[in-house]
Amino acid sequence: MIQAFNLHKSYGGVAPALMDVSFTIQDGEFVFLTGQSGAGKTTLFKILFGWESVDRGQVIVDRINVGKLNESNLYTLRRKIGVVFQDYKLLPKKTVFENVAFAQQIIGADRKTIRFKTWDALKNVGLTTKKDSYPPQLSGGEQQRVAIARALVNDPQLILADEPTGNLDPEVSLEILELFEKMNQQGKTVIMATHSLEMLRARDHRLLILNRGRMVQS
Amino acid sequence: MISFVLNALRTTVHNIKANKQVFLMSVATITIAFTIQGLFFLVFVNLNTLLSTWDKQVQLIVYLDDGISKGQKNVLEEIFKSNEKVDSISYDSRDEAWTEFKNTFSGKSGFVTDLGFNPLPASYNLKFKDDPERLVNIRQLADLLKEQKGVESLEYGEKWISRFENFMVFLRVFILAVGGILSVGLILIISNTIKLSIYSRRDEFDLMLLLGATHRFIKAPLLLEGLVQGVIGVGLALGIVKLTHIYMKFNFQGSLESIFRGVDFQFLTQPLLWAMVLASIFIGWVGSFLSITQYLHSTDRE
Ligand SMILES: Nc1ncnc2c1ncn2[C@@H]1O[C@H](COP(=O)(O)OP(=O)(O)OP(=O)(O)O)[C@@H](O)[C@H]1O
Ligand SMILES: [Mg+2]
Repeated sequence: MIQAFNLHKSYGGVAPALMDVSFTIQDGEFVFLTGQSGAGKTTLFKILFGWESVDRGQVIVDRINVGKLNESNLYTLRRKIGVVFQDYKLLPKKTVFENVAFAQQIIGADRKTIRFKTWDALKNVGLTTKKDSYPPQLSGGEQQRVAIARALVNDPQLILADEPTGNLDPEVSLEILELFEKMNQQGKTVIMATHSLEMLRARDHRLLILNRGRMVQS
Repeated sequence: MISFVLNALRTTVHNIKANKQVFLMSVATITIAFTIQGLFFLVFVNLNTLLSTWDKQVQLIVYLDDGISKGQKNVLEEIFKSNEKVDSISYDSRDEAWTEFKNTFSGKSGFVTDLGFNPLPASYNLKFKDDPERLVNIRQLADLLKEQKGVESLEYGEKWISRFENFMVFLRVFILAVGGILSVGLILIISNTIKLSIYSRRDEFDLMLLLGATHRFIKAPLLLEGLVQGVIGVGLALGIVKLTHIYMKFNFQGSLESIFRGVDFQFLTQPLLWAMVLASIFIGWVGSFLSITQYLHSTDRE
């Protein structure tokens, strides 16, 4: 599913955000990505869905060479990937339902499908009762779950979850983890970035560890 | 496809509502610019009608020497008849001219009839066939006749007609130049409106890109917004121009007709109307296209 060769990325600061990062992830794998704050986890994700470019190296996602895409066909890559953003990126003036439906509208789904799939995704994260609330009225954990529902609603083959349980208590965190594992059992490839030792200890998934921009375990 | 169009429409309405003031300002600017342009066109169209009315009335009068011989007259008449552009020929002898003159002015002034001799020359009066090139035809024949013996002088009001024609050429260039400048200004204004529209909702557009929206999907509502601005703007402008036309007609038709018989206040011609509508659509489209392209190329990677 993913092959990365010697990725190098610098934002122009003292130390580059990523140095010589190489790894391979097979179709259908479940992988934890961990490392201290600032290690480069989010940067790596951004490179995978084409929001940041690399200075050196190549990355192939589902047979697409990401560096070869241009602005007008990047969408082909992004439609394969469901991203749970670390900062959620919810639209404050849209309701929970509309926020999730937004991802469906953008790929041109028809109204009926949108309604059905959005409802389904909200059910998956247990938020149907909040569907008419606006994000600022929700707790951090609830916002996180909206972000998860939006990442899943388009049935992506690859899920990139950036700290999807950062704001949740252990019990709910485990539920969310199980949700991603369920997706994984349905054949989707999942990469979950997390700090949570509990999470890492609870499961025996493959572990990628970044340390100050270097992949120290893959 | 249908959902794509519906979505574009819905998003456009949403954008306009969210940015109502900027939208209205932009529409007002377009309206003002197109009203100016429309009024220029109105003046132009009416002067043009006037010109062609005069054009039609232009005749070539060939004044003859008092001592012209029969043979010379025949030569002249041959020239007239062999010219295909000439519609009709009439001859005014000196006596006829004098009688006509006296009839016209009888009672108004005693001095002419007391003159005691006939000061008027005999003349040929040539009418020309309807032809867009009428003035050119007249000029050509006049140049030929100038050289002939027995011709005293020619008259066809050429001086002020060609002056008027020169003025019309100038006016045309002037209007085009003004139109060009206004168009560039409008494109900049619209592109700025759309830019504000984009920046006020930048998070949403960024998110669209992140979630895999095509450029087409993002562009469509914004292009539509620029287009709507253009169309509403030109619609209002044409309304104002039409009202001006009605007002002029209502108040000044009488005095116009007393000066130039058979001349009517004209509204803009169909081609001009279409040109203005198309120009506004084009301007709206280009204006929004510029700002969207700028945005899309500034976001994706760096
Ligand atoms: N847009 C940016 N411009 C400049 N520097 C950046 C940018 N984004 C990230 N960085 C820097 O790159 C490094 C890696 O950041 P990144 O966000 O990838 O870390 P992370 O592993 O996701 O951290 P966290 O666990 O806190 O989310 C950091 O030093 C950060 O300051
Ligand atoms: Mg991060």
